[in-house]
Amino acid sequence: MSKYSFRYEKTGLAKYISHLDFVRAINRALRRAHIPVKYSQGFNPHSLLSFGMPLPVGYTSVCEIFEAELERDMDENLIMEKLNSTLPDGIRILEVSKVCPDIKKIRYAKYIIKPEFMPGKDFVKSFLENDTIVIDKKTKSGIKEKDIKKDIKEINLCGTFIEMVLSASNTANLKPDVVAAAFKKYGFDLGFCQYERVMFFDENLNKI
Amino acid sequence: MFDLDRILSRVQKPARYTGGELNEVKKDPGKVKIRYCFCFPDVYEIGMSHLGMKILYSIINEREDTYCERAFAPWFDMEEELVKNNIPLFSLETKTPLNQFDLLGFTLQYEMSYSNILNMLKLSNIPLLSKDRKEGDPFVYAGGPCAYNPEPLADFMDFYTLGEGEEITNEVLDVYKKWKEEGGTRHEFLCKIARIEGVYVPSFYDVEYNDDGTIKSFAPNNEYAKPKVKKRIIKDLENVYYPDKFIVPYMDIVHDRIMLEVFRGCIRGCRFCQAGMIYRPVREKSPKRLLSDAKKLIESTGYEEISLSSLSTSDYTGFKELAEKLLCVTESEKINMSLPSLRVDNFSLELMDKVQKVRKSSITLAPEAGSQRMRDVINKQVTKKDLLKSAELAFRGGWTSIKLYFMIGLPYETLEDVVEIANLGKEVVDVFYTLPKEERKRGVNVTLSVSSFVPKPFTPFQWARQNTIEELHEKQMAVKKNIKSKHIKYNYHESKLSVLEGVFARGDRRLGKVLLKAHELGAKFDSWNEGFDMEKWEKAFLECGMDYSFYTRERSYEEILPWDFIDIGITKKFLQSENERAKNAQTTPNCRVKCASCGAAVFGGGVCFE
Repeated sequence: MSKYSFRYEKTGLAKYISHLDFVRAINRALRRAHIPVKYSQGFNPHSLLSFGMPLPVGYTSVCEIFEAELERDMDENLIMEKLNSTLPDGIRILEVSKVCPDIKKIRYAKYIIKPEFMPGKDFVKSFLENDTIVIDKKTKSGIKEKDIKKDIKEINLCGTFIEMVLSASNTANLKPDVVAAAFKKYGFDLGFCQYERVMFFDENLNKI
Repeated sequence: MFDLDRILSRVQKPARYTGGELNEVKKDPGKVKIRYCFCFPDVYEIGMSHLGMKILYSIINEREDTYCERAFAPWFDMEEELVKNNIPLFSLETKTPLNQFDLLGFTLQYEMSYSNILNMLKLSNIPLLSKDRKEGDPFVYAGGPCAYNPEPLADFMDFYTLGEGEEITNEVLDVYKKWKEEGGTRHEFLCKIARIEGVYVPSFYDVEYNDDGTIKSFAPNNEYAKPKVKKRIIKDLENVYYPDKFIVPYMDIVHDRIMLEVFRGCIRGCRFCQAGMIYRPVREKSPKRLLSDAKKLIESTGYEEISLSSLSTSDYTGFKELAEKLLCVTESEKINMSLPSLRVDNFSLELMDKVQKVRKSSITLAPEAGSQRMRDVINKQVTKKDLLKSAELAFRGGWTSIKLYFMIGLPYETLEDVVEIANLGKEVVDVFYTLPKEERKRGVNVTLSVSSFVPKPFTPFQWARQNTIEELHEKQMAVKKNIKSKHIKYNYHESKLSVLEGVFARGDRRLGKVLLKAHELGAKFDSWNEGFDMEKWEKAFLECGMDYSFYTRERSYEEILPWDFIDIGITKKFLQSENERAKNAQTTPNCRVKCASCGAAVFGGGVCFE
């Protein structure tokens, strides 16, 4: 089977493209690049692409992944070159490989947060020492309380930015802006933040 | 530059404001002579669907001396952020504030966007009134179908270009460049372009009024201003410029596909239809040209859908040839073809069967009026027999959903005529159930969509009285009362909006102060439920001491109409005779059956010389 994995970055203003719009943009780019993506059978054929955890609107990333099934084998470098030549600003393929980092195995993601105001070490330490970290979550049936403690794997302060390793899967997904909101609730306002996803991990925290 | 990120992180649909889409034109603003901003007075997803913008954006950017960028009306949330953070409205490409451009070109697609134009100027810190603009301010001008009555915006526009924009835009830019190099005044520039055919400079004309409020005289006050301004057309459509690239938005826009313009104009001559008159004469492109355009656009955009665009695609003489050839391309490239404005007959249904690989959606028919008498009045040359036949063909072909479009409030219409809309809906349902079960599917949905007629300039109904809100309401209810079948769904439009549209469609330049007042009261996005507020408009009319029923009244043939100084080729005599024929429910054959001597032959091309 000619299945390929594409690692890509989404930077600059491209971060405002929503996930669904982004999927459409990739499909069109593959068409322009004449990369023979396989289509499903049936009434409404669609291209056989699968994307990893959707990136929230407003986040940049340097580690996104999608997988595509092609009609036939192609040279990985050629695929990358053809695709990159027709991608709009802010979207760039970094690597194409036939060996798939299986996106189904993703459990955690690392984020870099550039806040307006850096918190102190003590604040973060005591924040993480809470038995529960409860946030208000908006759901269809109103506002519900949710404990996010178990979804926070790591929070590190690194000079002017914060590194966070958080749950990232279909069953448990925590976004760093939610953590930022929790910071605020627990006493420290980061102000305006920029978010970037930089790495995916499996359940054993091995890089994917 | 201001911190765009902070703002965009707080608004809905930030991709409306980012630019940077595929095929966006990038130039160094420092290396061009003219900075031009194409302004669409509605949100991004509406504006980006507009074919005229795609054409002009490309054509202007073909010039090395000019950089054409884009701007749209910011949605309520974005406006709030702009105001709060003291950021002027900016272009998508380089995020340049609009007041730093040389020229702002607005397209007037519908009257209910006028309040957005004022709002966009205000958000750009540009004086709203043309007379208040100083040396160094941008020139603000407009074109598009509503520019055929430019008067309601006369106070705000420095000038207009009338008719098709491909040539005149370049002529204006050539003059602009020369004027800028020579360092003239604003007034001198306007004097120079007033000499170009199709340019209208409102401040170069004086209007006097009679005691009853009608126009007494309309005359140039400047030696370069022409007494009659003639619209521009592209005589040779086959060889006209067409973009080989479209910007491909990320956002889901209204028409997110390749559009191929197969012809301009319409042979039909429906008497309510402004497009059918102002774009005359009909001019076509050859299937060969269109196929070549299609291939280039498929290659450059990656779009998965292509659409044929015209006022009545079935009237295209090369339709079969084009459809067959396009099908070869679309099938191999896995592209869908969409075919709006198609008459329903055997050929078109077969074609739709081939092109619509997706499940069968609904079929749309546009009888426009319920009774045969009214269809003759409006010169919609379709009989009930034709309509029911089309419906039958569609049902046999497996379609189960039919939309029927109608208008109410047409001239010479009675309540009996209106009730026929409901009856026709029932007859369509009956057609379905009289078919043997093996030859149709199980259930049927008929939608009756009824809009309110708005008399438009340069149509045979330009003199007609527009129905009042109450009359329209009565007619809407008359249809409703007579719908008995549960298979029929009924939609109708907000009649207040139609009346306001009618006021601006046939208004004069005295409406400028009403518009300004309504803008001050916060009117914007009038074509949106979120924006339209009739109270603001009623207050604006009241405060200006004006009565809007003046603009919806019937006009006499002798009256000077605000748009009379524009020459669209079609003569007033023709429009009058068509109105007289309408009174007697007499039809007029289409251009290809028999020339009706409308006057469009003066342009020396198209169907008039076939």
